[in-house]
Amino acid sequence: MTISDEALHKEVTAWLAANWKPTFRGRAAAGSAGGASPEWLTMVVEARWAVPRWSEQWYGRGLDDHQARIVERAFAAVGAPGSGQDRSNLWANTALAYASPSFKAKIVPALLKGEVGMCLLYSEPGAGSDLAGVRTRVERVDDHYVVNGQKVWTSSAAEADYGMLLARTDWDVPKHKGLSFFFLPMKQPGVEVRPLRQITNESHFNEVFLTDAIASAENLLGPLGGGWGVLQTALAYERSVMGEAARGPRSGAKETGGETNLIDLAREAGRLNDPLIREDIARVTALKMLNRMNTARAKADLAQGTSSPIMSLGKLAMSRILHEEARVRTAILGAGSLLEGPDHPRAEDANFLTLNAYFTSIGGGTDQIQRNIIGERVLGLPKEPEVDRDVPFRQVRGG
Amino acid sequence: MASFTDEDRTALTDAFRRLLNDRAGEADVRRVMETPEGYDRDLWRQIAEMGVVGLVVSEDHGGGGGGPVELERIMEEAGAVLLCGPLLSSGVLAASLIQALGNEDAKARLLPGIADGSLIATAALTGDAGEWTPEAIEVSATEDGALTGVASYITHGQNADILLVAAHMADGIGVFEVAADAPGMTITALPAFDHTLRIARIEFAGTPAKALRSDGPCWDAIEAALDMTRIALAGEQAGGARRVLEMTVDYAKARVQFGRSIGSFQAIKHMAADLLLESESATSAARHAARALADGADDVRSSVALAAFACADAFTTVTATSVQMHGGIAFTWAHPAHLYLKRARSDAQLFGTPSFYRERYLQAFGA
Ligand SMILES: Cc1cc2nc3c(=O)[nH]c(=O)nc-3n(C[C@H](O)[C@H](O)[C@H](O)COP(=O)(O)OP(=O)(O)OC[C@H]3O[C@@H](n4cnc5c(N)ncnc54)[C@H](O)[C@@H]3O)c2cc1C
Repeated sequence: MTISDEALHKEVTAWLAANWKPTFRGRAAAGSAGGASPEWLTMVVEARWAVPRWSEQWYGRGLDDHQARIVERAFAAVGAPGSGQDRSNLWANTALAYASPSFKAKIVPALLKGEVGMCLLYSEPGAGSDLAGVRTRVERVDDHYVVNGQKVWTSSAAEADYGMLLARTDWDVPKHKGLSFFFLPMKQPGVEVRPLRQITNESHFNEVFLTDAIASAENLLGPLGGGWGVLQTALAYERSVMGEAARGPRSGAKETGGETNLIDLAREAGRLNDPLIREDIARVTALKMLNRMNTARAKADLAQGTSSPIMSLGKLAMSRILHEEARVRTAILGAGSLLEGPDHPRAEDANFLTLNAYFTSIGGGTDQIQRNIIGERVLGLPKEPEVDRDVPFRQVRGG
Repeated sequence: MASFTDEDRTALTDAFRRLLNDRAGEADVRRVMETPEGYDRDLWRQIAEMGVVGLVVSEDHGGGGGGPVELERIMEEAGAVLLCGPLLSSGVLAASLIQALGNEDAKARLLPGIADGSLIATAALTGDAGEWTPEAIEVSATEDGALTGVASYITHGQNADILLVAAHMADGIGVFEVAADAPGMTITALPAFDHTLRIARIEFAGTPAKALRSDGPCWDAIEAALDMTRIALAGEQAGGARRVLEMTVDYAKARVQFGRSIGSFQAIKHMAADLLLESESATSAARHAARALADGADDVRSSVALAAFACADAFTTVTATSVQMHGGIAFTWAHPAHLYLKRARSDAQLFGTPSFYRERYLQAFGA
């Protein structure tokens, strides 16, 4: 069934006009489509606007990228969240691709509606960049799995209902081959979450101790021993989201992207006539614009059925944008950046951005790892020799 | 000025380093940075007894009679451990200002206390604009020495017993001495992003103050005091950068990913090499400027300006890159990387920004 662009646009704008109220903005469960109440997200899902690219069987409309963008733009135009989750909802996309039919039927709608909170149980004290080196152990006992180990830097773990868990199920095969991927229920006695204080003075990330935690058979995603493949899908979604948006200055979870921000800031600080500052602002503004152009071009390529190398660049570009923007904000404020706290919001913004930029340049795979991936997978440069790649994991040197 | 031999310098620096290792480790820094005064008074007394607080105060007034060369070395050690306290504000900036003014009465009254650490002094030289130029002064003085206006970014202003305030007068700029408990004055402690630092803002409303007369123009004396302060700060930055690089290289050797030390990856190795170039250049710039100032060399203006921006940029770059090289562990409050990063950011703003000093550097060549 096809629909014309005009008819689609009319339908979505009419629906939004009839249903959207700004009071629907609110908190969904951690990690879900930001800034919306579950009540609103439920309406969006039931009206089939949440994942327009997906099939009708899965709350979608089977639209192509071009038409899906019409829907997303209509939502953006009124400031309504919840659409475009077929690109941005890493949890739902991973579950849709890999969960068992029974689990998928339960979890996918709940994820789209923001009813369940999620976290990523990947990194461990000894395995960060080298995720295939995880040592959290999963054993099959009767009809379920028992999990033991420690995870770290787990954002939103305290609020999460499930964690996407990467763990080792086979120690006698090489590191990438013995991994499996689970949706681990977080609210159970075997899961202990201890908050870690961050350099931003917030505590979003945590240590997670897993002691005989239980996962049911249906919590396994993909085949046993096929966890590395599932992880690649999940990481691709995570990185593409991180390449398009980032948490801006402390004042909110706004996307960075308002070109006027730096110009306004410089004007307010009386520095807009300073040629050095002008040069800096032009450079950062251009970096943001170019990243958006790259992303748009990559998407257009994708729609034509080719995979796009440019997609891989987004996260690296975003990291550079954030660090540069922080530097320029600091330069504009000068000595004002010495301060912090609610009475000094401009300084607070600059300093927070300076620190939180590392969320993008370290979290989700560091800049160095992104460069390796781009060099090897995109440009086809020879791989770094990996000393432990083909060795049974039991014999691998630990971190 | 007393002449320090190389042996004297080494002996003093070694003793100071031992004391800091003993008493100013990371745990101590974290403890004192959470206290309102922000430094350890007992350690302060010991540093003073060792002759470090009064290092650049003349011997006639109870000091060590040292100069920029000794001071720079000492400050490298202070920077390496992120020493908290008014060493720079009182022992360097305020003491140098009093000496540069050449006001005998003020020297006799204030320097002995500054040198033995019993009196904490600082200088209030800029306003809300936070630029260390005559135009940025926002305090004015009447004929009879009453101060009105605002001074800000006063390092350790809340700790000081005595403030030396730059103010506009009918015929130029003057320096005024005000006691912390003088009437008609409100001192506000500002919340500093760098928790190891203390800064304050003061509003003056007809505050009675004592003019410190000088033989020459007061702004020249302020510049002379700022030069000494810049050298000290450059030393702190160079020392801090070197320590952070050391920590980072140690970690790169110890941390294993992909079955090998992360330091075996060229991405990490190359970053480390670049940071060594930064921190060595900072050390050279700081030490050269100290020597130039001590000798009154021809290139003193350009050397001090160069040290000011090269050391600020090096410390900022080294600390920022270090976080990246550590990965997630350095995103935690418990790891020291952020303490250094925050100090580097504040050091780069105090007493003038790197771009201010780049401009000065060019001007020193007549450009
Ligand atoms: C704010 C924040 C939130 C996070 N949230 C989560 C979360 O929710 N869930 C989760 O599982 N993890 C999370 N992480 C962890 C993050 O994914 C890891 O920190 C990251 O992958 C790096 O791992 P590591 O910290 O162990 O550093 P390491 O892997 O030890 O890296 C240290 C340094 O070595 C470099 N390096 C390592 N290998 C190579 C190589 N092959 N070539 C070149 N350089 C290399 C790195 O680039 C880095 O500079 C978060 C991290 C941060 C900072």
